[in-house]
Amino acid sequence: MNKIWAGLIIVSFLFAIGSDIRDEWFNIHKNGNPIEVMVVNENAISFEQNIVSAKLVGEKGIQELVLSYSDSWPTKFVENAELRGKARETLRLTVVSQKGDQISALLPQVHVVKLRAITTAAFDMAETAVKIAIGLIGVMALWLGLLKIAEESNLVRRLVKFVHPLIGKLFPDIPKDHPALANISLNLTANILGLGNAATPLGIKAMEELQKLNKNSDTASDAMCMFLAINTSSVQLLPPVTLVALMGVGVSELMVSITLATIISTVVGISGALYFRRKSRKMEANYA
Amino acid sequence: MLNVLSILILPIMIVGIILVGLIKKVPVYESFVSGAKEGFDIAVRIIPYLVAILFAIGMFRASGAMDFLIYLLSPVFSWMGVSPEIIGMAIVRPLSGSGSVGILADLITQFGEDSLVVKMAATMFGSTETTFYVIAVYFGAVGIKKVRYALKVGLMADFTGIVASILISLWLFS
Repeated sequence: MNKIWAGLIIVSFLFAIGSDIRDEWFNIHKNGNPIEVMVVNENAISFEQNIVSAKLVGEKGIQELVLSYSDSWPTKFVENAELRGKARETLRLTVVSQKGDQISALLPQVHVVKLRAITTAAFDMAETAVKIAIGLIGVMALWLGLLKIAEESNLVRRLVKFVHPLIGKLFPDIPKDHPALANISLNLTANILGLGNAATPLGIKAMEELQKLNKNSDTASDAMCMFLAINTSSVQLLPPVTLVALMGVGVSELMVSITLATIISTVVGISGALYFRRKSRKMEANYA
Repeated sequence: MLNVLSILILPIMIVGIILVGLIKKVPVYESFVSGAKEGFDIAVRIIPYLVAILFAIGMFRASGAMDFLIYLLSPVFSWMGVSPEIIGMAIVRPLSGSGSVGILADLITQFGEDSLVVKMAATMFGSTETTFYVIAVYFGAVGIKKVRYALKVGLMADFTGIVASILISLWLFS
């Protein structure tokens, strides 16, 4: 996990640098190549048949065309602003020369596009992470509240008795009547019914119970790995709400393919977890 | 029919649990609130883990490395007779849930709901979960930093799910 995480970041950085260096080498953004515009009147110029409102400022020798943002800007101007991370802001072109109504001007230079992009992404995503977490609070509160009621009505205990023979073998480390099994079953049931929102808080509850059984508090136990394997391979017999929303009626047809694929991935996930569990037990035995 | 069932389950569960609680003389309102309180703590505990995952993946996508990967893998997919656009979903699915939704929505606009690409992408979407997100949230909530083989197994399951989706879609829908 450490290597993959660091790898993603380092690769992104290298890619961004490489991409920007390549842009400079081949002058992809054509910095230093002037564009040609025609003066229409005091307040407007035309560029490739687009009329853009613009003001000529400065004195002879050092003049600029100041373009205020408008929705009808030609693509080239919009792109220039966006690549520089200054979308929708006023554009200032440096005038190179003027022959009567024709002005030759330079767009602002475009550099380090990708480096800027990854930096923006990093900070935007950090913000997004918090938004997601805060969004989760409501859903979690709802389901954990309902779960508490179910626990106190003994619904949960009855569910365990029903489910234990089925999944007990996958989690041999969990003692027979431990609440962990109940929460795991609830999480799996929610997943099967396509209730992703409910499954997450239930899954977290299950992890909390598993953590109580865990000997090393910062390391994943075998039961946790198995639980994760089943969860991430996604056990769903009813379509997830998102899919119903996006695909409409066509979902029924998809359920066949989805169910087949999900069964295969779950079987692989469970087998993988069992295999690595046995492997890690053997290694422990060798060191003992 | 399936749609009706999908939508019915939630309200039935909610009301059902509360009714059973009432019958068993559980103080439903008070229990609900005491259970719900934990929601806040858990959500906040997850934040550092989510930040770690999302910012790494965000950088990866913004740098163009992802597009490059897709470009490298296109020939393989074209050879199989599958639209290369599906690669986007195959790569993003284990990385980001909202990203996958975005890609699916985009594919639907481009190709329509009845196209092979969309059906294949939807199958991929429904058959696996976002491994990195699940690890961040589930392990993060209890403070687990060493994941051992969980990541390996998760990615194995994802990979299998994706390959299975491709093959099954080719078999059923083309």
